[in-house]
Amino acid sequence: MEDSKTLNLNVRKDFPILSKKILEKKDLIYFDTAASAQKPNTVINETNDFYKNHYSNVSRGVHTLSVESTFRYEDARKKVQKFLNARSENEIIFTKSATEGINLVAQTFYEKFMQKGDEVILSLIEHHSNLIPWFFLRDKYGVVLKFANIQPSGEIDIDHFNSLFTNKTKIVSLTHLSNVFGTELNEKAISICKDKNVPILLDGCQSAAHLKIDVQKLGCDFFVFSGHKTYGPAGIGVLYGTENLLSEMPPYQGGGGMIGDVSLEGASYAELPAKYEAGTPPLVEAHGLGIAIDYMNNIGLDNIIEHENEITKYAFNKLNEIDFIEIHGGDNKRNSIISFNIKDVHSHEVSSFLDVEGIAIRAGHHCCQPLMKHLGINSTARLSFGVYNSLEEVDKFVIALHKCKEFFNK
Amino acid sequence: MNDLINDLYQEIILDHGREPRNFGECEPHNKSADGHNPLCGDNLKLTFLLNDQNIIEDIKFTGEGCAISLASASLMTEKLKGKKIEVAEEIFKDFTNLVSGSDEDLKVLNEEDSLYALKGVGGFPMRVKCATMAWHAFNQALKD
Repeated sequence: MEDSKTLNLNVRKDFPILSKKILEKKDLIYFDTAASAQKPNTVINETNDFYKNHYSNVSRGVHTLSVESTFRYEDARKKVQKFLNARSENEIIFTKSATEGINLVAQTFYEKFMQKGDEVILSLIEHHSNLIPWFFLRDKYGVVLKFANIQPSGEIDIDHFNSLFTNKTKIVSLTHLSNVFGTELNEKAISICKDKNVPILLDGCQSAAHLKIDVQKLGCDFFVFSGHKTYGPAGIGVLYGTENLLSEMPPYQGGGGMIGDVSLEGASYAELPAKYEAGTPPLVEAHGLGIAIDYMNNIGLDNIIEHENEITKYAFNKLNEIDFIEIHGGDNKRNSIISFNIKDVHSHEVSSFLDVEGIAIRAGHHCCQPLMKHLGINSTARLSFGVYNSLEEVDKFVIALHKCKEFFNK
Repeated sequence: MNDLINDLYQEIILDHGREPRNFGECEPHNKSADGHNPLCGDNLKLTFLLNDQNIIEDIKFTGEGCAISLASASLMTEKLKGKKIEVAEEIFKDFTNLVSGSDEDLKVLNEEDSLYALKGVGGFPMRVKCATMAWHAFNQALKD
């Protein structure tokens, strides 16, 4: 194995699950961070500590525990605001998932700004979570959906995308980093939306932990991501929206915590961000996400990105040398994600075979069935990397792939 | 090689996965159903001809999927062809128990059956759905 600074990050000890033995004897090699990232000790311990020492409901009582819980919850919001470089904490809405964030925008943006016959632009590489919420608008309200083509490289075809706009286009929603190809969205797509004055939502599920996010610099109007893919707990998501739009759109769900004043005749609604946070929120999970952001910041996002880029490039080159491997998505730069197939072996077989070698990878359609149909394949195997992975693991993986090929072609 | 993998991918499974038997569409047929695994995108179409004595005269399938799902569908068609529907239903129950690692005693299947080769799926809980996809389609077709 080549010398590498990747070994110097020395963070494996922070992740207790990495010392687990798979099937009682194999070291775990976790290459499925794009599905969900593993959790560092600080996140595990701090969420534990929240329940043990500080837990109560938030923003409701006046007693000590309520204050301690509320402080932690709101402090997490500040951390997220800085993490995304949003202008204000009012632009950070906690949801249960990124999926909920997209549903929230689709429903409330439609209610305020759209009517039957209006158009939404999406693309062929979207995750189901950035398709189905918009399908609901099509099916319920007669909204028209248009889909930007992709190039063989896995990138959106910008000319085609540009050609889809009409005076009825009301919103655009695109993935910021493809969960299949690992390719980053071409910035031109965002500038086209700016030029045409159409709001754009970025699905940041894959980008939040693997690119440096600055929502102001990006110029997006909405940005969603999930806690569990950024080393935080599951059950917490973030919706960033500009204060202008979030102020104008109506509330999503009704309930406690999102009201101003209630009588039997009606209600007024709370100011941002509480307006969109009906019910008791996932407060401990929000705190855990804040701790996960601290964790990434302590290592340094630049270091994490450099580390992951190095592993991704190393793995890409290794896979590229193997004649029985087909890598999807051309020669584009990949950010921590590589999709591939072993010729004549279904991705399920690859994944089960690697599993008994202790290697966790994803197999399937990756919640991107329209894309798979477009590629003319049924499924792919996917490698995805996180802060804890190493070049040595890639070497072990490559050896296992050869064994796998041999086994199924015997 | 790991025992779990050898149990899962016995030679007969790899063989039927590569070259599924009874692959195609039954013409004529009077029963059909689609099988689909939404988690991975594997799918199949099952067609069969049930005669007036309730015997499965012919049964075929088409579709795409992993070795486990193709082999299971292939072995299923071999096993069910010529069987009375009551017997086929017993085989369905036995097979479901066999691959899900259930302790329930098998009534009609035994170790001599080629279907027994799929027992290894029990060691891979996430693959049980691959092995049962065709069988659920069969069960569905009976209900329709």
